[in-house]
Amino acid sequence: MSLNSPNSNPNPNPDLDESIDVAEAHGRVALETAASAREKRLADNGHEPISLWVIAACGIVLLVAGSVLGSSGTWFKYDGYFREGYVRGSAEGTVDSGPKPKTALAAFSAKGSKIYGAKCSGCHNPSGSGDGVNYPSLAGSEWVTGDTQKFAMIILNGLQGPTSTGKVYGAGVMPAQGTGMSAEDLASVMTFLRNGFGNSTGDVVSPEMAANAIDISGSRDNPGSSVNAEEIVAKHMVNLPGEYLDPTTMVNPATFAPIE
Amino acid sequence: MSFRTFIFSLSASFGVAWLAIIIVPYFKMRSIEPMSMGEDASGTNVVFIPKRAGRITDGAEVYAANGCYMCHTQLIRPTYAGNDLFRPDWAGLVYDDERGDTRRETNVYDFEGEKYANIGIARVGPDLSNLAVRVENIYAENESPEQWLYRFLYNPRERPARRLSTCPSFRFLFEKKKLTGNLSDEALPIATEDGMEIVPKPGARALVSYLLSLKKDQPVPVSLDFSPATEAPTAVRPAEVVPTP
Amino acid sequence: MSTVTTTNSQEDIAVRSRIDRSLRHPVMFFLTSGAAWLAVSLILGIISSAKMHAPGFLDSFGWLTYGRTQAAHLNTLIYGWGFQAAFGVIVWMMSRLSRQECRAAGTILMAGHLWNLGVTAGILGILSGYGTGMPWMEFPAFAWPVLLLSYFAIVVWSFVQFKVRPEGHVYISQWYLMAAMIWFPWLYITANLLLHVFPGSPVMANGINAWYKSGLIFMFFTPVALATAFYLTPKVIGRPIMSYSLSKLGFWSLAIIMPWAGMQKLAGAPIPYFIPYLGAAATVLFFVPAFTSAINILRTGFSDLEIVSNSPTLRFTMAGVVGLIVMAVAAAFLNLPKWTLPLTQFSMSGYGFEILALYAFFSFVMFGAIYFIVPRITGREWLSRRLIKVHFFFSIYGIVTVAFVAIFGGLMQGQGQEQFLQPSTELPEYTRPYAWATTIAWCFILFSNIFFFLHLTVMWLRLGRRSTHPTLLGSAHGHSPHGEEGDIDKIGTASAH
Repeated sequence: MSLNSPNSNPNPNPDLDESIDVAEAHGRVALETAASAREKRLADNGHEPISLWVIAACGIVLLVAGSVLGSSGTWFKYDGYFREGYVRGSAEGTVDSGPKPKTALAAFSAKGSKIYGAKCSGCHNPSGSGDGVNYPSLAGSEWVTGDTQKFAMIILNGLQGPTSTGKVYGAGVMPAQGTGMSAEDLASVMTFLRNGFGNSTGDVVSPEMAANAIDISGSRDNPGSSVNAEEIVAKHMVNLPGEYLDPTTMVNPATFAPIE
Repeated sequence: MSFRTFIFSLSASFGVAWLAIIIVPYFKMRSIEPMSMGEDASGTNVVFIPKRAGRITDGAEVYAANGCYMCHTQLIRPTYAGNDLFRPDWAGLVYDDERGDTRRETNVYDFEGEKYANIGIARVGPDLSNLAVRVENIYAENESPEQWLYRFLYNPRERPARRLSTCPSFRFLFEKKKLTGNLSDEALPIATEDGMEIVPKPGARALVSYLLSLKKDQPVPVSLDFSPATEAPTAVRPAEVVPTP
Repeated sequence: MSTVTTTNSQEDIAVRSRIDRSLRHPVMFFLTSGAAWLAVSLILGIISSAKMHAPGFLDSFGWLTYGRTQAAHLNTLIYGWGFQAAFGVIVWMMSRLSRQECRAAGTILMAGHLWNLGVTAGILGILSGYGTGMPWMEFPAFAWPVLLLSYFAIVVWSFVQFKVRPEGHVYISQWYLMAAMIWFPWLYITANLLLHVFPGSPVMANGINAWYKSGLIFMFFTPVALATAFYLTPKVIGRPIMSYSLSKLGFWSLAIIMPWAGMQKLAGAPIPYFIPYLGAAATVLFFVPAFTSAINILRTGFSDLEIVSNSPTLRFTMAGVVGLIVMAVAAAFLNLPKWTLPLTQFSMSGYGFEILALYAFFSFVMFGAIYFIVPRITGREWLSRRLIKVHFFFSIYGIVTVAFVAIFGGLMQGQGQEQFLQPSTELPEYTRPYAWATTIAWCFILFSNIFFFLHLTVMWLRLGRRSTHPTLLGSAHGHSPHGEEGDIDKIGTASAH
């Protein structure tokens, strides 16, 4: 950028190109740098007092920010990811909603399926087919799909000896499943098995019937011992006392209470 | 003010904040231990880290590269920060057959397996924290969840209930292939020319696999369970029309 | 009224001209290249915005899907336009304020090209489906070291110039610019290292990204724009900044408060509970430095209304500072954790606020600076008063619409989101009207900037007016404060003053 030519032969169309030395205090140069020339010099900042409105506005914002900070919990507490003492609020405007209603058939079958999976499928197979040697199949079994009382007795007390087909299976005795089983549980398992695995009786065993079954089971000659084919044929070839449920009734699948 | 004072004060004012809200929490949170959930039925110690099945890493990359986070969030906020928990099915299922109310807030374990939590910027569309739960239990009635998602990504406005959706069509993630014999499993039931079928490309597969891993309603340890102590609900929701997929 | 003189000596004029000439190539490059990126960004912004209410628009191309165009729009706006305008202004102002010529013009120019390369590669990466999914950091991971290297090569000279400056008062602009030049790499390196190189907690990574976004706005673009406004206003008005102590208060309150801001976007997320609320409080407190600085500048500027209405520089600068006030009010209002934050956290008001910051404040001040700087480094004056006016007014229309979307629309959208009894399938309906407003706003802004680009291109080609007079927005008749107008080609016709 240092100067070279002394500009004895000025370029008629001057431009801000490199050969011109702007250090020359020159009328022409001043024209070219007109923009810089008319600039004002940047003055040091002034010292006017701060307006009260500015202070007031900032004060209000400081108060608001202070309230935000006040509800910010314990500072630098790095292991608390949620507000201390947080419990979920409740939704205004909603009813405490429960489960979607289902038909009685579906509701009881669903529960029965779970119980079956937990208690029965270990021996009878998840598909209800047994294994043909040790454990009988439940699909198409006469004692499952026939009168309800014998079926209930078998579930509650277990079975020894030949099954409805007359065959004796290798396991020998089916253990009782009735301990801890509520009326609803029993009704569910019965409904599930009577309407699944190819069976289709189309009825829903009600908890009322199941409660009666538990009573009957408790008042047998030797309660707690397993039933056998003889006892079944002799005493239990009847339906349980009580009414079936209409399989299309809508119920609460958690409580089985019917819905109006 | 000298240059030295300036640099010192600037570094101090920035540095304190930088340490306090960036460096310290970031490194502390790198090594989050799983929480114990006690013992299960067979006596083994159960640990809470939600296991996610699916192609989380590449699926998350497709999700990120296509900007899904611009319109969808993945954060269920506690009730002091928003109403997400009250929205049906965003935070979990209001009534799951087995567990009842499974809704919960997002916690720090929910993004394990991802490099960057896709918490998202805006809610033009719904929150996706529990998308897989919704697709499997509510939306996909007569088809597999994958099929439902493939159809949605191909044309979000196909189904009447979603006519208003502004989700872009991701049909560039699908391709037309020549039919060889029967329709392949993943072929979309969309009319196309004779002899051709529409199948997802690997990107779509990864994305759908990732989306179907989005379940953030697992049971949580006691310290993360903020539900108020209540009885099981006995009131019943009337059999009203739920928005159909 | 202070008795500080603002008239020039010949020495001043000579120094200024030398500085301007030394800087001509790099600064002009940054300003024109930045303006070109602004054009790209605006077009992408219109496409994205249209897709929000007409999702079928251009949807057969994967590279134009909304998620990618919106990411590309924001990243070109920030790294293409925002940073390059900032570089042009930083390099020029630091030279002028240190009264040092630029001796590294070639290096800076090359670094600028390298920056362009990085941004171009990054945008192509996003559009072809390799975006990282981290807002404002969507460039694929190879881009950030390139941009960082280029950044250092551009700004280090300004620090050198500051070191060798002559004795005297250090202007508030210099403090702001140096602070911005230090804060940005600190933010950038932290965010990129912790998100790309040393991965850790995925949730905290999201938080760091939110902090980075906020940091870019409040600790880079805001100080650069404030420095520019603090420089241009007294320059053009001819009076000093109203209150020096207020400007220092503004600077230090910005420095102390704003590093805490940003994580309010993660309220309710599983990160330490106090962090989002500190972030919310800090963002609310942005009002203090913003408002005090804005009042400082506005009172200085409006002490002479005639100059403001005539000077394109000051019109844009003052409009930008008014934008700062709107931004300050929005920052305070939209981030209150009990009342508005749950509504705005996941709504369009986040985007609206970012555009307020980047366009209503930063870009307007940058336009003011461009209208001031370009004549000085090219030696030509702007061609047409009308082009400047169209640029100004249509940008105002557009940005006012965006402010409306941000403040009002986001709240309405959030309210809709919180109505949990409404089905989620209706959520897009809450966004739709504001999407329309945004598309219209961007169309206005693109329209205004078409005139700006034309004008700037003409100046770049050195086809501007060869006059001793600036192009003013007021009437050409009536007496000008600059005396007789002369042609710079005619030697000796007009007298220098």
